[in-house]
Amino acid sequence: MNSSPSLTSRFGLPMVYLVDDEDVVRDALAWLLRTRRLLSEGHPSGDAFAAFLAGKSPADWPTAPSCLLLDVRMPGLSGLALFDQLVERGFVQALPVIFLTGHADVPTAVAAVKRGAFDFVEKPFSDNALVDRIEQALLRSEAALARRADKRQIERALAELTEREREVMNLVVEGKPNKLIADALDISVRTVEVHRARVFEKMNVKSAVELANLLRPPA
Amino acid sequence: MNLPAASAPSPEPPRARRGVRWLLWGALVALLLVAQSLLVGLTLSYEEARAQDRADAVAAAASGEMRRLVQRNLQSAQSLTWNDPPLTQWHYDAQEMLRQRREFLRMEMRDNDQRLLDAVETPFRPPLFGTMARGELEIEMHAACATARRVASPQFSRSYFVPQAGGLGLEVVDLCLPVDRGGHPSGYMIATLALGQLLEDASNATGAGEHELSLVEADGTRLVRAGLHRGSGVFHATRLVDLPGNSLQLRADAVQGRPGLIPNLTLALVVGLSLLLLGLVVVLARDVRRRSVAETALAEALAFRRAMEDSLVTGLRARDVRGRVTYVNPAFCAMVGFEAHELVGSDPPPYWPPERIDEYRQRQSERLTLARDLNAQREGFETQFMRRNGERFPVMIYEAPLLDRVGHHAGWMSAVLDVSAARRMEELSRQQQERLQATARLATVGEMASLLSHELNQPLAAIASYATGSLNLVNEADQQPGDTVVETVSMLRQALERIAEQAERAGRVIKSVHGFVRRRERSREAVGADVLIEAVLPLVRLQARKSGTRLEVECPKPAPRVWVDRTMVEQVLLNLTRNGIQAMEGDATPLDQRVLTLRVTQTHARWVRVSVIDRGPGIAPEVAARLFTPFFTTREEGMGLGLSLCRTVIEQHGGALDFGPAAPNGANGPGTEFRFTLAVPDPARHAAEPSAE
Repeated sequence: MNSSPSLTSRFGLPMVYLVDDEDVVRDALAWLLRTRRLLSEGHPSGDAFAAFLAGKSPADWPTAPSCLLLDVRMPGLSGLALFDQLVERGFVQALPVIFLTGHADVPTAVAAVKRGAFDFVEKPFSDNALVDRIEQALLRSEAALARRADKRQIERALAELTEREREVMNLVVEGKPNKLIADALDISVRTVEVHRARVFEKMNVKSAVELANLLRPPA
Repeated sequence: MNLPAASAPSPEPPRARRGVRWLLWGALVALLLVAQSLLVGLTLSYEEARAQDRADAVAAAASGEMRRLVQRNLQSAQSLTWNDPPLTQWHYDAQEMLRQRREFLRMEMRDNDQRLLDAVETPFRPPLFGTMARGELEIEMHAACATARRVASPQFSRSYFVPQAGGLGLEVVDLCLPVDRGGHPSGYMIATLALGQLLEDASNATGAGEHELSLVEADGTRLVRAGLHRGSGVFHATRLVDLPGNSLQLRADAVQGRPGLIPNLTLALVVGLSLLLLGLVVVLARDVRRRSVAETALAEALAFRRAMEDSLVTGLRARDVRGRVTYVNPAFCAMVGFEAHELVGSDPPPYWPPERIDEYRQRQSERLTLARDLNAQREGFETQFMRRNGERFPVMIYEAPLLDRVGHHAGWMSAVLDVSAARRMEELSRQQQERLQATARLATVGEMASLLSHELNQPLAAIASYATGSLNLVNEADQQPGDTVVETVSMLRQALERIAEQAERAGRVIKSVHGFVRRRERSREAVGADVLIEAVLPLVRLQARKSGTRLEVECPKPAPRVWVDRTMVEQVLLNLTRNGIQAMEGDATPLDQRVLTLRVTQTHARWVRVSVIDRGPGIAPEVAARLFTPFFTTREEGMGLGLSLCRTVIEQHGGALDFGPAAPNGANGPGTEFRFTLAVPDPARHAAEPSAE
């Protein structure tokens, strides 16, 4: 179908990770994804993917929108166990997990979805529907990545603020007028205005409302 | 008889029969006794009658003789008085007469008044009236003389007793003769006669030695007797001896008494014969009795034997040395459907299938030539007979030589068993066994259903993916310019190749399942052990992969060939491998140590051993004890038929199935090795009969 150009916009090419013990299934899915202009990377077992993740942190990985197609039943580390690890380590926001299940595993898959998995697809699956779900997952991943990037930018900006600027900013966010800020900080209104302008500049906002929105912890 | 069961007669009816028999015997003995008693009685009475007759005859003869003697004496006495001789002359004549005749004792001459004129005594005796005077004993004489004078003829007096010296005496009688002179009575002549002497003479003359003769008076008083013996008083006869003027009774008394039982020869003979007869009767009775016992026993033994023959379900057939049927029992008739009279004497017998008569004839002649070695025939042989309706059926025949009384070989007695029912049962049981095994195979596959669906889903999923992707490409190619076509075509080719590949793979899965479940003809073939293993390997792999078990197959090259029913042995292999894999699932064995080994070794020129070795925790003793029990299982989904069927199958192949710990010191428990043996094809045998048994 139509590939979504937005996916390639900001964080680079999206990546689909395939974890299935069946080479054939991995290859076929990879090929299918290729026809939809999606990159994929296969891992033959849960253990292999766990090894691949070792040393990575959810703070800086994945860099591109990603999702994980995870077979529930595999020899060795099973899909569910791997998912539990991912939840524990905080990867699931940026790396949405779609379970591939046989019909026998549907209840477990449902439970997994309740614990934060993106979806499950029962084998045999309708392939383009699966790819559509993959793209939705990638969009979510991208959103997560964007959130992560924004947060990191705010933090960086906050780090650039001086002590006085941070005091001024806190009071601005509380909605106090400059006059009261000047009184509270025992400085002149003028000075407050200069600090306020520096804060707006550094935080890349144009108004106090925008600044407040930015600093409000994500719901 | 020598049949123990025959010696137990039923109690009731023979008692009545025995009563009748005793009655008959009693009647016979009674009849015999009566007849013998009659015979004895008749013999006795005959004897008595004869003795009586003899006594009568003797009495008659003696009395006749007596009368003759008396007549002669009378005449002799009369001759003395002829012509009236002078007295001296008479005296002389009288003396002469007395000398000649002993019975005359004395002669007297008396006058008319009966006065004694002269007397002459017998010279052989002392004077008669020596003891008692004549005058005292004249009364009888006077009476006689008076009568004689009156009738003018000699008269005898009544007899009287004359005592003699020494206490003895003589019974005498006087004969009085009247003497006339010139027509006038002139006197009397008296002759005295000794009755004893007369009787003695008569006795001697008649030869009555066996009888005592006596003269008795009318009242029975005995006057004189003669004879050597005393009469016994049993057989006697009396005759009257008439004398002029007197009559005497003569009595003959047989010396022989009443005939005794024992000393009598005739009687002894009769009694002896009777006893002999009685003895014979007893002997006869005993013999008859013994015979009847033997007959009863024989009849019972016969009935017993007949009942035995009739009740047998085994057919019995006797043949003579020429092979002709001489006897059949009802079971045999029922078996072949012919009547006994149709079978006896028939040649060839009607139960021989017509198309096999020649073959049977030859076999029969072979058996007959083997007859010398009679003991070699004990083993039964199997053949085919035909019923009346033409149906052929298999029979088992056991033959024993039939010997006649003198031990001469007279034929064969055969026990014939109809084994068609047994065959049918065997066939039925085989079919049931097969069905059971087929069911178990289906159950095995059923237990593997999720595995199979997974296994089929993989290629199907891949195919679907490739197909979808191909469609994507084709749709895109419609919209895009031609420069990407080359790339699209190469991708499409790749996709189509993969699709074909995966379709084939799915087909293989289906085929392996089908090949496993399908009911093949039950046939054995020579097949390589590796072929057997490869046949089940896809299914084994399926399970192994899910639990992460590695499979190791150790098989020598070239693989030994075994003589098996493939379906069955493949089932066994699949069961054992599945058990092995399941033993290592879960927490039993760590993932990296899950190895299932299939090992083929040739242990013997004729045997190949196949081992299935897992590295599981081993088998607990209480489980091991019941491992081969049907319907015993440790798994929820199992039927519990697997191992018991496996053992059955292997044993049907002549092999053995057992198990034991594989590596007693293994890290995760001893593990288990299941091993079974299969026979190597016997080239000599299996070349001749390639397919069926």
